[in-house]
Formats: sequence, C-alpha cells, structure tokens
Amino acid sequence: MTIVSKNSAESAADERPRRRITSLEVLCVLVLLAVLGQDWLQRILDAPAVRTGATIFVAVCVQALPFLVLGVLISGAIAAFVPARVLRKVLPRNEALAVPTAGAAGIALAGCECASVPVARRLIGQGVLPSVAFTFMLAAPAVNPVVLVATAVAFPGEPGMVLARFLGSMGTAVFMGWLWAKLGKAEWIAERVLRRMPEHPGNRRWVTFAETARHDLVEAGGYLVLGGLVSAVLTVAVPQDWLATLGGQVVLGVLVMAVLAVVLSLCSEADAFVAASLAPLPLLPKLVFMVVGPAVDLKLFALQTGTFGKAFALRFAPATFVVAIACALGAGLLVLGGVR
Amino acid sequence: MRRETQNILLVLTGGALLKIAFGDTYLRYVKPSQQPLLIIAGVVILALAAVAIVRDIKARQPKTSQPRARAAGHDHARSAWLLTLPVLAIFVVAPPALGADSVDRDSSRATAGATDSAFPPLPRGAVVDLSVTEFVTRAGWDTANSLDDRTVELTGFVVRDGESLRLARMVVTCCAADAAPLSVRLHDAPATGLRSDDWITVTGQLVPGTATEASDYQPVLRVDSLREVSAPRNPYE
Repeated sequence: MTIVSKNSAESAADERPRRRITSLEVLCVLVLLAVLGQDWLQRILDAPAVRTGATIFVAVCVQALPFLVLGVLISGAIAAFVPARVLRKVLPRNEALAVPTAGAAGIALAGCECASVPVARRLIGQGVLPSVAFTFMLAAPAVNPVVLVATAVAFPGEPGMVLARFLGSMGTAVFMGWLWAKLGKAEWIAERVLRRMPEHPGNRRWVTFAETARHDLVEAGGYLVLGGLVSAVLTVAVPQDWLATLGGQVVLGVLVMAVLAVVLSLCSEADAFVAASLAPLPLLPKLVFMVVGPAVDLKLFALQTGTFGKAFALRFAPATFVVAIACALGAGLLVLGGVR
Repeated sequence: MRRETQNILLVLTGGALLKIAFGDTYLRYVKPSQQPLLIIAGVVILALAAVAIVRDIKARQPKTSQPRARAAGHDHARSAWLLTLPVLAIFVVAPPALGADSVDRDSSRATAGATDSAFPPLPRGAVVDLSVTEFVTRAGWDTANSLDDRTVELTGFVVRDGESLRLARMVVTCCAADAAPLSVRLHDAPATGLRSDDWITVTGQLVPGTATEASDYQPVLRVDSLREVSAPRNPYE
C-alpha cells in the first residue's frame, strides 16, 4: 500500500476499487490513537503553561466558530440568491465612490472579523470590485453598533474613544480600498476567488447555497484554528509583565500595542475591555490596539491566506497594519486632542 | 482531503460544539450568553455536512446517469486537517478553566474602566456575599468607603506563593482569551493544606487603604473563616 497524491487517489478510487490509504482512513486512525492515548495525552498536557495555552486555544476556536458559520451562511446566500447584476446595480459605478459606500454598509453586519472574510470572498466572486469588497471586509467587524457600544461601556467617561475608534477603523477600511484600487493587482488574489459561481434557477439554488457554505467552512475553518493555535502559544510564551514598564513611552507604547493586537487575535467585541484594562498606558496606544486588532491579526492573516492566497495576504496584511496605525493616530490626535 | 473526510470532520466539529454547549464545559471557554450561538453553530455545521453526505449517497446510486457534480471543483483543503485539533482537544483533553497559572502570568492589569466615585451602600446583613469584582472595585475606588467595618464573603480559587495566599477570580468579557485576573490578599488565613487552584469561600474584613496603585489594586482581607468548596458552575466573573 502506498500513499499517492490526493487527486490521483480520488480519481483512482472512483474507477477501480483497489486498496489505498485515503484521508478517511488517516482520520479514523488519528481519532483512534487519540482515544487510546487519552491518559498519556492528558499527562503530557498537565504542565500549567500548556494547560493555560490549551484552554486559550479552545476558547478562541469555540468563540470564533459561530461567527465563521454566520459568515459562510451569508457567503452561501450571496452565491445562491444575489445575482451579480443586482450587486452591480446597488453599488455606485465609480470605484472611488463605491469604496466608502461599502465602508458604510459594514455598519450593518454585526459580527466578528471571522464572518467578514468569507463574505468578502463571495462578493468578489459575484463581480464586486476587490477594492470595494476589502473595504467592506475591514469595516464590518470594526464599526458595527455592537463593537461601538462595547467600546463606550469599556471606557466610561471617555466618549471620545468611541468616535475616535469609529473614525480610525473607517479610515483604515476606506483608505485600504482606495489603495487597492490604485496599486492592487488581480493576480495576487488566488484564481479560485475570481471564478464566478454558475447561476442556477429555482431548486438548484438551495444546493448552491449549502455547497458554497460547506466549502467555505471547510476551507476557512482550518485557518481559523491555525490562527488560534499561534495566538495561544504566543500568549503563553511571551511574558506580559513588560507591558507595565511601558508606562510613559508613547512611541514604544503605540508599537507594542499594535503588535499585541496582532498577536492576541481577540474578538472585536471584546478588545475594548482588554484595552481598557491594560492599566498604565495612555489612551492613544489603547486606541491603536482597538483599530489594528479587527483589521489585522494572526487569526485574520491565517484566514486571508486560506481564502485569498498567500501572495495576497503577504501584501495586504502588512499594508493594513501600517495604515491602521496611521489612521488610529490621526483619529486619536483629532478627537482626543493628544496622547492623553 | 477527500470530500467524505471533510464531511466527517464537519460532523465531529459540530458535535464537539454541541457537546460542550449542552454541559457546563462551554463555561470554561466563553461567556454563558454565548450558549445559544454555540448550539446554533453546531446544528448548522451538522446540517451542512448532512446535506453533502445525502447528496453524495444519492449521486452514487446507479440510476443517476449524469456525472457527479462537485460544487466547487476539487477541494484542495489540506488546511482542514487542522480542524481535528480543537475537536480532539474538546473530546479527549477538555482543557480546564483558567486558574492560578494565568494569575501569575498576568499581573499588569487593573479593573476595566474603574474611576473614583461614591458607590451605593451595601445590602444589610451580618455577612455580605460579594463577587470578587465588586469587592476589588469598591476597595480601590469607592469614595464612600462602603466596605469599612463590614464582613464580606468571597469565593474564588487559591493562588499560593510560598506562605502568601491570594484568592483570585478571572474576569471574562467574551472568551477565555481575554480573561483578566482579580485577586485579594488573605491575611491570618489558616493555610494548612491549601494548594493553588483549590476553590475556597472566605469571610472577613477589608484592611482599609490596602488597594492602592502600589499594590496593583490588590486589597487585603483579614480572614475570619475559610472553607474549601467545589468549583462553581461558571468559573469566571
């Protein structure tokens, strides 16, 4: 018995029933081994740091999966029920105008960032300009009412934070859209994203809906897990005490908070509370934390790699990181009137 | 990865979500309010897998002569293997709630958004049952000093560092990844045999003026009584 490459294994399995190891058997053996080795696994995972990391890993996955499911359902619905011509009619023809429109539309989708990645992918598949879809992808998790209310609750007595966050995140989304319109190249996006879904009449639409949602879930789910895994390992491995030593240094504080937002990969509905609780820092670095987090973090980078391809993510994520810091600083100085 | 394997993985993933949502296990990872989301997500994932499985079985029956339609062509989703990790973690290991290790790891945080103000008076009674959040917030920021000369009852887990003993509780906003610890130092506590992560209920009085910036807003409680208890349903506040 040999393990052959996936494609030939599949076609071969269809034609002649010869014994080959497929992913199905691998999965069964994996599960069996895990069950048999349960005691041993629990023993090696008993170190306190490993236990903490495992809990955080499962928490990130469990917390994000419902939002990813919401995202793939919307994605499936777009593929099945929203014909490309309707989208073309709704959005302004002018790309420079369509980008802010997409940003404003982001206010309506109250979900975490994981939901918006598959939705953006499907919008592109239905013929929406990539710049417009990316603006929507960046805006939706950051400027929806749930997130803004959470920010207001986390920063009582600082209503400026809500406005500053809104402006910073919206600015990031719109500016990235325009940047893509100017510099972005279609060949950076994986070819499968640009492929149009065939339009099916009537009954077949439900099949399209279910199959698209299932396909997107399988594709994105693994990357979500990868992001959660890296984030959990880094959370445990990097000591958080050095945050306390940053106190007065604003430039360093801004940079560290931006990196921390990327590493922690928090849900956009929770990051305001974490930012508020990082005690000794002034407001400006905390604002940077909240603007960068929903736009780019490890979980999102993994999701974008899986959805749009490596060539895309390697360019888009660093650009978003820089733009988000700049927009947060701009909004902070404008609204808060300084570092504070 | 074959389509059949993907479907089975989806069944396992949906099953894992439902398993933790229908016990108390999910409370180790997320807020109680997320239970319905977990159930809905689990059911949807199972349904998507079921639709695909049923279609595959139908397509395989000899009557249908047309070639099997793969909705999205070949799936090159090697990444889907990673889905086995949380599934196995939930079914095989079920990582415990965060505890003393997280408190040791993370000492730089204070209560979110607390500001000096006069808090409403505590309810009457000889012993007042308080959450750790309430106690720490009042101890640090209450200008009306409502805790002075009052006996309170607190429940949390033990953080032991040599002879010094703390009672702590993790505060969770959305999921355990954003958990922040709150802790109270225990004075005059009969510490015999207590280990980190044991759950205890203590009664005692606040030592006024101990929750300051210098002490990281960790108030000191002079302990009257201490008893071991079993872990509460929801380990977080």
